Amino acid sequence: MSAPSLTRQRARVGWFLTLPALVVVAAVTIFPVAYSVAISFTRVGLTYDGLRVEDWTLSNYATMLGSSAWREALVFTLGYTVVTVAVELVLGIAVAVLLDRLEVGRGWLLALLLIPWSMITVVSAQLWGYLYNATYGAVTWGLGLLLDEPPVILGTPAPAITAMAVADIWKTTPFVAVIVLAGLVRIPAERYEAAEVDGAGAWRTFVSVVLPALRPVVAVAVLFRVLQAFGIFDLPFVLTQGGPGTATQSLAMLGYRALFHDLDMGMGAAVATATGLLVLGCCLLFLRVFRSHVDEAGEGGAT
Amino acid sequence: MSRRGRRRTGVRRYLNPVTVGGLLLVVVTAAPLYWMAVTSFKSPVEAGASPPTPFPEDPTLDNYRHALDAADMGRYLYNSAVVCVSSTVIVLALALLAGYALARLPMRGRGPVMVGLLMISVFPVIAVVTPLYLVERELGLLNSHAGLIIPYVAFHLPFAVWMLRNSLLDLPRELEEAATIDGAGVLRTLRSVILPGAGPALFTAGVFTFAATWTEFLMALTLNSENDFRTIPVGIAIYGDRYQVPYGVIFAAAMAATVPVALLVLVFRRAVLSGLTDGAVKG
Repeated sequence: MSAPSLTRQRARVGWFLTLPALVVVAAVTIFPVAYSVAISFTRVGLTYDGLRVEDWTLSNYATMLGSSAWREALVFTLGYTVVTVAVELVLGIAVAVLLDRLEVGRGWLLALLLIPWSMITVVSAQLWGYLYNATYGAVTWGLGLLLDEPPVILGTPAPAITAMAVADIWKTTPFVAVIVLAGLVRIPAERYEAAEVDGAGAWRTFVSVVLPALRPVVAVAVLFRVLQAFGIFDLPFVLTQGGPGTATQSLAMLGYRALFHDLDMGMGAAVATATGLLVLGCCLLFLRVFRSHVDEAGEGGAT
Repeated sequence: MSRRGRRRTGVRRYLNPVTVGGLLLVVVTAAPLYWMAVTSFKSPVEAGASPPTPFPEDPTLDNYRHALDAADMGRYLYNSAVVCVSSTVIVLALALLAGYALARLPMRGRGPVMVGLLMISVFPVIAVVTPLYLVERELGLLNSHAGLIIPYVAFHLPFAVWMLRNSLLDLPRELEEAATIDGAGVLRTLRSVILPGAGPALFTAGVFTFAATWTEFLMALTLNSENDFRTIPVGIAIYGDRYQVPYGVIFAAAMAATVPVALLVLVFRRAVLSGLTDGAVKG
């Protein structure tokens, strides 16, 4: 058999092997996304036999953009994402530096950090809900020792948002720390030595040697965390039910409510589509900003 | 790693900011976990006591008994096990085939496929859950194990494909070439050369897929809402009512759901850590 036809045959086998995976993924993700986008442009009636399309319309988006619930959810989700990811990044880098310098028990500490990370989010949400409980929660009790009048944590907007962020940060900072640590241990010793020769102090070394070297791993950690935080659902569903009022109602919570509580399919689909678009935009922006790194990785991967 | 040369002696060796920070980190991470474990052994009265008691005064297994019998958590654990083990096995099988092809076979358009998979794997579940619900209702798949296994496979495949493809790239080509020269076809090469070499990556991808499906909530909540098919996250999330949350029972169920997975992760922490970090370091 000649070489080109062998290549062609091997390529065919390749597609044959890849197809099952692609078909499953496409059937369960691409098709539903397209369907969801279509629904978002219709006025649908929910009948006993399923959906009945009554009309093609832009009114779902008009309603969504005009509704204060959506704007509040958007602002909350964006703000929550930015703040929690920023805090996790700072803490994650600090923890990674700490782990890197720890002389005893590093393995054990890493192992301990993996437990919250691998936990069911619903479980950690129940756990923090218990800690924050207004009558018998340990955190409430602890705050009572410090303050004259401890707040009803989950019953007041600002403390509830903070409490939710703390629960999130507790669970996901280990992820950031582990990824940053992987970048940290790869910094060659010579760079530290060079900084020392130049007479740079610890802080200066950190800022001008360590941080720049961590850029690629930090980028990956931030991307993953931003996408996750932006779709946040499990934690508010269990911990705050989106409350008090709608103070912790994320976009995913809002979409879920529209879809499965109010059975407003058009509106729910519009919220879901808009959320998907924002996520996609985030990804593209990220690829643009970190293109050089991604290209580098892509080329590295191709060899 | 690099700056471990500095040796201190005696107490000073342990009384430095790093060790103190390490201890603080242990306390902050472990305290809530400890609280969950302790509360699962407390009576309802003690779990609701203020000030809280640091140890159970009269340790009891009642919460565990109640969780398994009256609260149906045993059934939810079983459902979770069936769904997650099946999903993981199917994901690994499909990802091995696709990962091998994408790493080694001369197909055009591999790049777009890989990027497309990556995009899909980050898509928020809320964007697909309604149509999935409607389609599954049409096909009669709601409230069945298959109805959850299929979307779980689809959502966790992209990550597994990436992981396997990346690790297969590192496999030396010589063995494969030798097999090809011996006249072995692609499938035989896959079985006798690639499969043994892919062991560690399959393992890591397996632990990841299992952990991810074990914790999934939104699809499980919407697609399998009937009691008989609820998975453990759903069971734990909606147990109790508005006025009274039986935390002892919830934490007993939570312990049953957390301890096995935590042990899995701890025992295989090297695989988990390499899986977490390879992606980040390699891109």
